[in-house]
Amino acid sequence: MDTIQQERGLLLIAALVLWSGLLAVDLAHGKINVNTLLIATGLILSWFVIQFAIRKIGHTGDPLFLPLTMVLVAVGLIMVYRLKPDLFLLQAVWAAAGLAVFILSAYFFRRLPFWADYKYIWGVIGVALLLATAIFGTEIGGHKSWLILGPVRFQPAEFAKLFIVFFLAGYLDERRSLLTFATKSYGPLVLPHPRFLAPLLAVWGLAMVMLVLQRDLGSALFYFGTALIMTYLASGRKSFIVWGGALFIVGMVAAYYIFPHVRVRFDIWLTPWADPNGKAYQIVQSLFALGSGGVLGSGLTYGFPDIIPEVHTDFIFAAIGEEMGLMGSGAVMLLYIFLIYRAFRVSLQATTSFDMLLAGGFAVLLALQILVIIGGVTKFLPLTGVTLPFVSYGGSSMVTTFCLLGILFAISEAGSTDA
Amino acid sequence: MLDDLRRNVRMIGVLLLGLLVVLFVYVSYIQVVQSDFLAGHPLNRRSIEAAAKIERGQIQDKHGQPLAYSEADAAGKYQRYYPYGAISAHVVGYSSSQYGTTGLESAFNGELSGAGNPQHRFGPISNLWTAKAGNNIVLTIDAALQETAYWALGNRRGAIVVLNPRTGAVLAMVSKPGFNPATIDDDWRTVTSAPDGPLLNRAVQGLYPPGSTLKVMIADAALAEKIADTKRIFVCEGSLKIGPDYELTESNHQAHGKLNLEEALAVSCNITFGRLSLELGRSRMEKTFERYGFSRPLVGELQEVPSRLPDFSRLGDGDLAQTGIGQSSLLVTPLRMAMLAAAFANKGTIMRPYLVSRITALDGSTLKEIAPAEFINATSPALADTVKRMMVAVVNDGTGYAAHLSGVQVAGKTGTAENPHGASHSWFIGFAPADNPEVALAVIVENAGAGGEVAAPIARQIFAQALR
Repeated sequence: MDTIQQERGLLLIAALVLWSGLLAVDLAHGKINVNTLLIATGLILSWFVIQFAIRKIGHTGDPLFLPLTMVLVAVGLIMVYRLKPDLFLLQAVWAAAGLAVFILSAYFFRRLPFWADYKYIWGVIGVALLLATAIFGTEIGGHKSWLILGPVRFQPAEFAKLFIVFFLAGYLDERRSLLTFATKSYGPLVLPHPRFLAPLLAVWGLAMVMLVLQRDLGSALFYFGTALIMTYLASGRKSFIVWGGALFIVGMVAAYYIFPHVRVRFDIWLTPWADPNGKAYQIVQSLFALGSGGVLGSGLTYGFPDIIPEVHTDFIFAAIGEEMGLMGSGAVMLLYIFLIYRAFRVSLQATTSFDMLLAGGFAVLLALQILVIIGGVTKFLPLTGVTLPFVSYGGSSMVTTFCLLGILFAISEAGSTDA
Repeated sequence: MLDDLRRNVRMIGVLLLGLLVVLFVYVSYIQVVQSDFLAGHPLNRRSIEAAAKIERGQIQDKHGQPLAYSEADAAGKYQRYYPYGAISAHVVGYSSSQYGTTGLESAFNGELSGAGNPQHRFGPISNLWTAKAGNNIVLTIDAALQETAYWALGNRRGAIVVLNPRTGAVLAMVSKPGFNPATIDDDWRTVTSAPDGPLLNRAVQGLYPPGSTLKVMIADAALAEKIADTKRIFVCEGSLKIGPDYELTESNHQAHGKLNLEEALAVSCNITFGRLSLELGRSRMEKTFERYGFSRPLVGELQEVPSRLPDFSRLGDGDLAQTGIGQSSLLVTPLRMAMLAAAFANKGTIMRPYLVSRITALDGSTLKEIAPAEFINATSPALADTVKRMMVAVVNDGTGYAAHLSGVQVAGKTGTAENPHGASHSWFIGFAPADNPEVALAVIVENAGAGGEVAAPIARQIFAQALR
């Protein structure tokens, strides 16, 4: 089929990006590391195998998902190799694991309604994971978002977001007709029915807990935003967004005045130049990196992104902006914009309301995550501890986002057969 | 029902993609419009980190002795070392990550740093011309002579400039008080707040009245303009009334009686030289200063402060006479006085003073050689020879006897310059050996009294070291 060949061609471009990027880093250091190229070649082979296998079983999912993602993965691997060469192998392994998760979810989630029946279980798991982090979380690298279970350490919030979107899609789908019309009047006030308000209030509470306990404004914004927008998708009532937004703002203002550490977060965002060597060090260094990169960048290995703390995880976007310039950072943003556009397209072409809500929810989740992290490191929004999907170093994020992509891929198939 | 849902999804999709486009525009704004501001922000350590990644070139004395060099520390970052510390501080300058560069570290920053400032506008392409190491610069300075001059000044404020009169090469240049360029970051507060200005390079930036050292130039002018010959006899009565209300006096009100030009220079007779200045008149005086290059700026690495010459057309007779004995509003640098001495040592021609003789690559191969060049032709060889003989008399029989050196004929002139800051500045300018000059110098010691007593003995030590 023609599109399959085109997909293969695009995957080849992603492969060339990865190879040439790694070679550029190696050549700048004056020695070619054969192991690195072997690892990269292994990963590249695995993505061609995945593409071959998924098309072999007759899957007709969106042919842009894999290539777009692989370019992002390639950029991430190049930057991890340049910033923390020791972590390169592990990141490649995570990418391979992500691909495996992708093909599994792309295959199994073809039977979505079956999974939707267990929405409450997913919801409980999601909330439990988030609460567990908030309460038992350990701080690693400045983020209190890690759970350590014996030898295993992971960031449950990454997984929790999938469960929560799943739960919301199922819950909202079931009560959709109810939500659209049911309101309750309290004198002059017309409020949504408590049945609708309940999950929204729950997520709002969760977001506030994250804000206060984890000092993570961005995550709070992004969970709550996803829940709110999904509710809007299901109900079509803009008043819910207004109410929800008001609730969130009230919560934030209250937190600003009650909790000093929340205030610090806000102040860093509003006036970073007041304390550029202290509290605002990270964001100011990130801005320096982006500005020094300019349009063309310093060239791989010729910049100084290491000055920024946590550059290989949360701040990898600033490192890309410094060494590859706006050419690199802009390309990464365009890749995300394409990917998110395709995700919304999947939702629009879905054949059932549950599919539509789920795909829409994932598209919103992805879009908000990109807005929050890129906005965070560029001072567009308050700084937050969210990873840049597929690019930042880290297994939890990589595996979850691949899982999300696999589900979208599965839903896109239903749409494509219908169309 | 599905259509409603689809409409909602479409609206949210457009909204969120729109927000992402806004973010895209914002990131472009930061990386394009704000790029210069952020890249050049003083808190942005990138240019310093870039400089620390390559080995800055050495600054060497004429024999290859390093005056400044860089060495990598354990972390691979280059640190700057100054083995001569304060001795060569004003020549070499400092290279500080916090306070920038001065002296030759600044004037030759491009060569020393290998022109290594990455031009962020050119992106990765600029890496093609970014050097791995800077070039060395080889100076005309003789480290041993520099050291002698430094210690000869002792703890007094002042400056010494030693030149090779035949080439203009600066053999030593000392300014006191000094500072240690290696510890400038730590000492910054003390050094910048000290009242005697340790960072000021007095040799090229200190402006002083030249006092009687200027008389050698007036002697030449009088001979050149045929106002006097070597035989003309002057009468000094200890004071000279000029106009209705001004009287020029000898420093100790002592009358020198009858003397010729050579004798007048030897005893540094103010009356004779005041009278000669009046006879020369304003325009010929101005011409003389021009002839010796005082009004022509020195371009290049010496970073000299221009001399302050009086506005001759508006000068009263009293001030004109004062200018002729190096007083009034006339202010010059020690370098200029060394150049004046060099004129008589080099047959009337002043060579352009310079500090850097060669630029070499890391492997020692010469990349650029700086050839000596004429700065100005001040006077004729014959007149230069006549003034030289007078300057010999100053050292042999006159005020400059303390500069006398056995076995080597020294020529010179002392100066005791009155100034509004306290005791007179002690001057000596001169050269040696008189018949075949190898070194010319100027020594000034601030507020130290008579030139013959303080500056001349210092000059003697320097001649002894230079002609060893």
